[in-house]
Amino acid sequence: MNLFKSFQMAISNIWARKVRSLLTMLGIIIGVVAVIVIVGLGNGLEKYMVDSFKSMGTDLLTVNVVGRGSARTVSTEEMYELVDDYPEYLTSVSPQVPLGGKVKIGNEALSYTSVTGTGEDFMIMKKFSLESGRYIRYVDIDRRNNVAVVGAYINNEWFRGEALGKTLRINGQLFEIIGVLNAETDEIEEGGGDDAIYIPYSVAAKSAGVRNISSYVFGIANEDLVKESKQIIDDKLYDVFGDQDAYRIISLTELLSMMSSMVDIMITILAAIAGISLVVGGIGIMNIMLVSVSERTREIGIRKALGAKRHHILQQFVIEAATTSAIGGLIGIGLGYALSDLASKIIVVALEEEIVVAASTSAALGAFAISAFIGILFGYLPARKAARLNPIDALRYE
Amino acid sequence: MKPLIEFRDLSKIYQMGETEVRAVDGMSMQIMPGEFVAIVGQSGSGKSTCMNIIGCLDVPTSGNYFLGGQDVGELDDDELAEIRNKMVGFIFQQYNLLPKLSVLGNVELPLLYAGLSKSERVEQATKVITKVGLADKINNLPSQLSGGQQQRVSVARALAGNPSVILADEPTGALDSKTGKEVLELLTKLHSEGNTVVLITHDNDIAGQAQRIIRLEDGHIIFNGTPDQEVTHI
Ligand SMILES: Nc1ncnc2c1ncn2[C@@H]1O[C@H](COP(=O)(O)OP(=O)(O)O)[C@@H](O)[C@H]1O
Ligand SMILES: [Mg+2]
Repeated sequence: MNLFKSFQMAISNIWARKVRSLLTMLGIIIGVVAVIVIVGLGNGLEKYMVDSFKSMGTDLLTVNVVGRGSARTVSTEEMYELVDDYPEYLTSVSPQVPLGGKVKIGNEALSYTSVTGTGEDFMIMKKFSLESGRYIRYVDIDRRNNVAVVGAYINNEWFRGEALGKTLRINGQLFEIIGVLNAETDEIEEGGGDDAIYIPYSVAAKSAGVRNISSYVFGIANEDLVKESKQIIDDKLYDVFGDQDAYRIISLTELLSMMSSMVDIMITILAAIAGISLVVGGIGIMNIMLVSVSERTREIGIRKALGAKRHHILQQFVIEAATTSAIGGLIGIGLGYALSDLASKIIVVALEEEIVVAASTSAALGAFAISAFIGILFGYLPARKAARLNPIDALRYE
Repeated sequence: MKPLIEFRDLSKIYQMGETEVRAVDGMSMQIMPGEFVAIVGQSGSGKSTCMNIIGCLDVPTSGNYFLGGQDVGELDDDELAEIRNKMVGFIFQQYNLLPKLSVLGNVELPLLYAGLSKSERVEQATKVITKVGLADKINNLPSQLSGGQQQRVSVARALAGNPSVILADEPTGALDSKTGKEVLELLTKLHSEGNTVVLITHDNDIAGQAQRIIRLEDGHIIFNGTPDQEVTHI
């Protein structure tokens, strides 16, 4: 009596009671679908996060000097020296000076536009590209030239695409537009990434009245050197301040891996909750198998009279339960993939974000294995009951 | 020659609360290979209990049962299953065919549990199905057959594993007299071919077809001899 024969018998028994078998499988189907969709959603979310972080620059380190409780400060020159001292780790640096000033074009005020003072390498570090003109140069910084580079929003909305050479006012001072950037975001809107003006950091610092610049962005030679690069900057700043709370070094790569592991934990918890429905499905299978054993008592008696041993009967019922459960698992996998597709489309329409619910093969295989295992686990008890039936009692059963 | 079946002071006692029912009470008897024996008696005389013990579906409370020289009383569930599979061919009053299996599928069952390969099973089963005259119905379901035909299927199933003894419990009980007679003739034929047949019945006319009669009453043997002897005895 081989496994294949038991499997054949199981299939024919399941087929003979189609509706009942399908209802029995329902718990397993729902559980598998839920696990696949949730894990798929998690994968999609993680990919979405990675993509958006990548576009923000995972090869950058942001340094914020708080300077609290310390009389000492770090100068812009010292920061530039770091890049000179460690060229194999740090490729570039740029101060970032946010300027909360009023922007006026002609007589009209722009209330949401961000104004940032930067160094000459800032554009390359942030992977901006020029539509026309040029970016800020060292000479502009050195001489505190009132020059500005504007984002696509300002160019399109305020200058009909011809901003180059025009002027605008920041805190009353006149700036000449020397460069126009290409659109950086998909949606060019007010207050967005493209509603921005970049000016020399020396000009911004003077205008804001800050003597010591507190925010810098460093370019790293290679994403794998994040840790070492961070350490170099950390050593320098600790030397200066003697206090780790006086500054912060933020790496997007680290932030990303932190957020990824948070999403992972969340998804695992959700998948485990969905997995409970697999257990409920298993109990449903056990219930139906118990009914099936008592319905087939006479059959079991006949089989035993003809020489079936306990393990024959046990095998038959366990395989039937496992097959029922595994078929439920397969249906669940099919539905899970279909539903993942559907969910992706709904997310695009509803949230206007490209989060792809990516049903993974490993989740599908795992779900299938777990459902077959649950069938075996919950089929065992009814099967054992069947195997232990006394043949005389079973034969007499009506 | 050694007996194929031997009861030695065998008892089967059922405990029904306070009272005990001695379904078989200190019985001793022997059946030789190749014999055709009828066990007769009125309802409640202990026939089915005897048949269960002979067929290794049950074990005695006390005394010994030897089948082919082996003491069956000491065997466990699975060992009894193996003995049934190899040595006993059952024919039940209610046929006890599996309704979802074809004639072939039903007859194959004992061979399946004996571990024969698919081709061996089909060959062997087809042979016995042909022997009982149902070769043209081999793929039919039991529900597509008459009562007499179904009982012939169960005879084929009993024969399939080439057992030492064919054990028929009221095989004609559910049949009309004509088809009942046909089944009885089939059993007689099997006996003439050398099979050991034990027939259990309450019907004296049917018992008269056998070589030897063992008559029971209240779990005791009250007669053990040829039908002719019994007639003169009475
Ligand atoms: N499982 C059982 N439990 C209790 N008493 C039983 C059981 N089986 C049979 N008996 C009793 O044993 C006696 C013999 O029964 P049985 O062997 O079935 O006789 P027969 O087959 O000749 O009608 C009867 O009195 C019956 O009530
Ligand atoms: Mg009886």
